[in-house]
Amino acid sequence: MAKVLVIADIKQGVLKGSTAELLSKAKAIGAETAVAAIGNNIESLIPSLATSGSDTQYVADDPGLELFSAGPYACCVVDAARQFGADMIWFGFSESGKAVAPRVAAQLDAACATDITDVMLEGDQIEVIRPAITNKVIQRVKVNAGQLVAVVRAGAFEATEGITGTENVVRLSPPAPDLKAVIKEIVSEASGEIDLADADVVISVGRGVKDQAGVALVKELADELEAGFGSSRAMVDAGFMPHYKQVGQTGKIVAPTLYMAIGISGAIQHLAGMKGSKVILAVNKDPEAPIFNVADYGIVGDLFEVVPILREEIKKIRSPAG
Amino acid sequence: MKILTTVKNVVDVELNIHVENGAIVEEGLQYVINAWDESAVETAVQLKENNNAETTLVSVGGGEDNTKMIRRGYAMGIESGIQIDDAALAEGDSFVYAKVLQKVYEKGDYDLVITGKQAQDTDNGQTGIILAEYLGLPCVSNVIAIEVIDDQHIKVSRLGDAGTEIVELELPAVVTVDVSINEPRLPQMRSIMMAKKKPIDVMDLAALGTSHDEIGGATLKSEVVEFMAPEKREGGQKFEGDAAEITAQVVGLLANEAKVL
Ligand SMILES: Cc1cc2nc3c(=O)[nH]c(=O)nc-3n(C[C@H](O)[C@H](O)[C@H](O)COP(=O)(O)OP(=O)(O)OC[C@H]3O[C@@H](n4cnc5c(N)ncnc54)[C@H](O)[C@@H]3O)c2cc1C
Repeated sequence: MAKVLVIADIKQGVLKGSTAELLSKAKAIGAETAVAAIGNNIESLIPSLATSGSDTQYVADDPGLELFSAGPYACCVVDAARQFGADMIWFGFSESGKAVAPRVAAQLDAACATDITDVMLEGDQIEVIRPAITNKVIQRVKVNAGQLVAVVRAGAFEATEGITGTENVVRLSPPAPDLKAVIKEIVSEASGEIDLADADVVISVGRGVKDQAGVALVKELADELEAGFGSSRAMVDAGFMPHYKQVGQTGKIVAPTLYMAIGISGAIQHLAGMKGSKVILAVNKDPEAPIFNVADYGIVGDLFEVVPILREEIKKIRSPAG
Repeated sequence: MKILTTVKNVVDVELNIHVENGAIVEEGLQYVINAWDESAVETAVQLKENNNAETTLVSVGGGEDNTKMIRRGYAMGIESGIQIDDAALAEGDSFVYAKVLQKVYEKGDYDLVITGKQAQDTDNGQTGIILAEYLGLPCVSNVIAIEVIDDQHIKVSRLGDAGTEIVELELPAVVTVDVSINEPRLPQMRSIMMAKKKPIDVMDLAALGTSHDEIGGATLKSEVVEFMAPEKREGGQKFEGDAAEITAQVVGLLANEAKVL
């Protein structure tokens, strides 16, 4: 039986849904499952690690793991993988996963695949599916090494309803700190905001909104809808939106029920981050903008005129009485 | 400070890419400098200009296209270039390239390696990080700013999950950079002309002191066995005309047809 070790996706002390999604997939391909949880003060997460679908929980809980540092995290993963005898090690889609996976692969002499959307297992033969060339092609990749370390693309797998596991905790010894790459601080502007990856509705602004006033105009709509508020790279580079709000190939991958692209042209790198959305609405004054090629609903018009009307109309629909 | 930067030529992602019989149709494709590597080169050149760094650029791969990448680096301000040209490198994965780069690193006496965080053809994002592991050097990936502290230390900003991570690195070290670290300069005509005359140090694997077997070329850890065309998302309804009218219409559709409001 193949053994899959899933690395728990823990953000700000919360266990993210991708952990259960990955464990569900592992069970679906008939694998024995374990999870590795790495962080500080994560004791309270142990029951949910088990109920997410794991049969063994490797836990590294140490103050030295409070701030992310790729070296010590990789040590913990390698330790858990060795103890478990993992054939595959899966990370959920995250910047930490992308930083740690190649390290782990190098240390274990395993193969490494990022951004995978599917895994096939036939006997001992592992194959994965992943996009490449900014989503212009899909690759089927055959794994020749005995082990695979993979980063799973956001939204690739679904959590199985009613999945269970058993609590069987194995403590990992705390890793030595990386004295040559010392994390000094994490500058976070994101506290209290809706995480783009979790939001049901995401509204993103592009260069078309021009400036801070334009951003504010669209943000009002986002706030009213309790939507995640994202951005194209153009607005990030221009300094109007923070980095962590960037949607696309180099930013967040989102797949909400509704994605609104406001003043975004639809460059392939942006599409790479939002094309999996269920419904896409685009507002753009250029009828030829490539965003319309993927949008289910397109409004050709000046966003400064359209967005206030959009707010009013949505308000009307949401509170028919008022 | 001696800096080694890497460059890869990649298929131009803006072109239409066709897949036939499980392979990419080569006809009509063009190759350009990997956008993330272009940012790596710019980073190195800025460190040269502002901190007296010495810069070397290496490309792993043969042919005219790779020579052009190095000349482009020269035109941007890179001082010396190495091209690893060997037929055995036709097939490779991130581990193979990292092994080759390890050999290049060991021949020089570098303080800092800067690579792009990802290549636009594979989107793997592994080589720089694996190189650091092979060299046993500290590494930070997805870097958007570098500040030199002193001869032995740099401070980098990395885009992480919880925000921007500020990390102090002891040199020698490896960093992989994101495109948002800078806006690569467009070389001037004069620099482009001068770059044509500059020599390039071309080496095969033997000259580098290694072999196809040692770099793992014969035993790739994984290989692409098939290319497929992605599922196409079709555009839907596009509305033009009076803003108030079409917006109300679309909101109605979002609520009643798509049922997402
Ligand atoms: C390696 C690499 C990685 C990248 N990664 C990303 C990424 O992760 N995410 C990302 O977004 N980009 C990324 N990019 C950049 C991408 O190629 C585009 O440059 C960027 O997405 C453009 O942003 P934009 O659509 O906001 O701006 P533009 O392309 O300038 O589009 C602005 C749009 O606004 C419209 N507009 C203007 N005024 C109005 C108005 N008054 N009303 C309505 N519409 C208006 C215009 O018609 C236009 O279509 C990457 C690029 C590279 C090379």
